[in-house]
Amino acid sequence: MEPHEFKLNEEGLKAVLPPLEAEIMEYMWKVKIATAGEVYEYMKQKHPDMRRSTVSILMNRLCERGLLERSVETGRGGMRYVYSITTTREEFEKKIVETILNALMSNFKEATFAYLSKIKK
Amino acid sequence: MLRFIVLAQLLITVFYLGKFGLAVVFFTAMFLFLMYIWITRHSLPKDYSRLKWEEMPWLYEGIARMASKAGIGMPYVYILDDYIPNAYSFGSSIVLSLGLFEVLDEEQILGVAAHEIGHIKNGDTVIFPLVAYGRYLMLFLSSIITVFVHTTMAALISFGLCILYEIERVKFLKRREFKADETALYLLDRPFSLKEALEELKYYEDLRINVRASALPGIEPNIERKQKRSLMDTHPTYDERIWKILAEIEGRAFRDTLK
Repeated sequence: MEPHEFKLNEEGLKAVLPPLEAEIMEYMWKVKIATAGEVYEYMKQKHPDMRRSTVSILMNRLCERGLLERSVETGRGGMRYVYSITTTREEFEKKIVETILNALMSNFKEATFAYLSKIKK
Repeated sequence: MLRFIVLAQLLITVFYLGKFGLAVVFFTAMFLFLMYIWITRHSLPKDYSRLKWEEMPWLYEGIARMASKAGIGMPYVYILDDYIPNAYSFGSSIVLSLGLFEVLDEEQILGVAAHEIGHIKNGDTVIFPLVAYGRYLMLFLSSIITVFVHTTMAALISFGLCILYEIERVKFLKRREFKADETALYLLDRPFSLKEALEELKYYEDLRINVRASALPGIEPNIERKQKRSLMDTHPTYDERIWKILAEIEGRAFRDTLK
């Protein structure tokens, strides 16, 4: 997943993902695999007004972003979708840093290089 | 009304084109009928799987109970691998998408299934394809008349009948949706579950459109969003259906108090 925007005034994952999607990803990186129902139960603790539809839409949006993948599982409860992570949190953070630094180096090469050298010292 | 419009088109074709018109009507009707048979028998793509009792006993038994109450045989129930909530019926089969199971609870899913059973009971799964093929018949005959009959009046009447058919088709399909809802209310143990399912599906649709439209989505759905409605929509809006369901439930409760 390539982050396309970085919000300077947001913290952590929320700088590159909308707030609720960031919360879902935090949970998914913990559990690695879950159904939308399980994520809904988790999210409901923090957001009591949240509805199943919201979680389902956001999880499918995370699939479109390439952070989650959806598969059909047939078990005792019948068929259902399960969602699993496609990348670890560390890989994702590394990708963000790489993408941002590449963008800075191609747009503001000298200033970026000078700043990085200063940090290194 | 629709059958009279088709009949009028057939009569005009035969009246103006004689034996040739009769042959055109016969072969077109035969062709469409064979297409109807072929499509209804080959209408299941790969993404479907037939529901077995042991997979979801609550759903299987719920549908069996409602089918029995409706006086029809147990429909085939298929689960469609699609994350968008969706349900429809054809022949004596019901299709429920996996997306439905993510956004609705068990009672609400039974509410949706009851609506589809309503379509089967009311014969819509047979009538709807016929109505759809009727459009092709109307258009084809209208083209034949325009090409082979060199009378402006005949072409105009035939084209007018096509437009009338479209208008009546839209009205007819909407009426059948309401009728399927009415049947569902009679079949459900808790009629409000259909209303709740429609509310959730409306919420889902509104939210999904909002999320798609926005680059950085806020998740508050704009429930009051003005819906883009076309005059030729064959489905009533969620609001229209919810309103009718409420009116029907209230009406029944009132009638019960009078007894």
